[in-house]
Amino acid sequence: MRIVGVTCCTAGIAHTYIVAEKIQAAATEAGHQCKIETQGTIGAQSQLTAEDIAAADVVILAHDIAVGGVERFAGKPVVDIPITVAMKNPKSLIATIEKKLANKK
Amino acid sequence: MALIDILDEKIIDLEVEGTTKDEVLRNLSQRLLENDYITNVNDFVSDIYVREAEGPTGMGNHISIPHGKSDAVKKIGIAIGRTKNMIKWESSMSSDGFQDTNIIFLFCVSNDNDFAANHMMLLAELAGKLGNDARVAKLQDVTTKKELIDVILNEPETGNSGDNQEDENFDVDINFS
Repeated sequence: MRIVGVTCCTAGIAHTYIVAEKIQAAATEAGHQCKIETQGTIGAQSQLTAEDIAAADVVILAHDIAVGGVERFAGKPVVDIPITVAMKNPKSLIATIEKKLANKK
Repeated sequence: MALIDILDEKIIDLEVEGTTKDEVLRNLSQRLLENDYITNVNDFVSDIYVREAEGPTGMGNHISIPHGKSDAVKKIGIAIGRTKNMIKWESSMSSDGFQDTNIIFLFCVSNDNDFAANHMMLLAELAGKLGNDARVAKLQDVTTKKELIDVILNEPETGNSGDNQEDENFDVDINFS
């Protein structure tokens, strides 16, 4: 599946980037395509394009503070979680999403 | 500028003294002071505690990542310390709220968001690298500062990112809007 997501944390210095990496790694290992936008103190990096979002099967929002531009994800299946959930269990996160998306179809 | 330019051996201490979080934070900050990264240890450490109060910075794998923005910062960087014994650190990775830490990445960041934007980009890149479990596991075995820097910079042979703890009841909801 194609996964897109956004990470952001309170200080925007560390967790934002660590968790982006963890989600990316867990998704890639499970054979999925994944692109994560980081919204940190230096602004948004690896920004999701309209095409990225249109092609995505699911959107992961892993955050402690409000995600910028959530209206971009209207109409998409969205997983909205605290950043620690993805920090702690990136693998289970991807596996659970896989299972729930499959059940839906 | 590249990642290696912000990894400064002068602010790495593989045998940092201290048996408590506070001692270690102060000893690493002292190193930052001596190498002209900050103007004052007390001011810097109290700003680190401001961020600590907002949520735990233990990230599992015996690693902690205290960070905060401080007016005491003159130069952006990252102090890295490894302690001889494990110290107790707040963590969201374990159920009791604490973990054992022996490696500390102390982010030294200015309050001014526009200050040294290039350095901040590099620090973000470095933070991302800490999201790789295979890499951080290797940090336990390094014996020199140079080796530590190599482990951070080079891609590990395995790039797995497993769960911190197996959780049979793990669940998340998908909102099908």
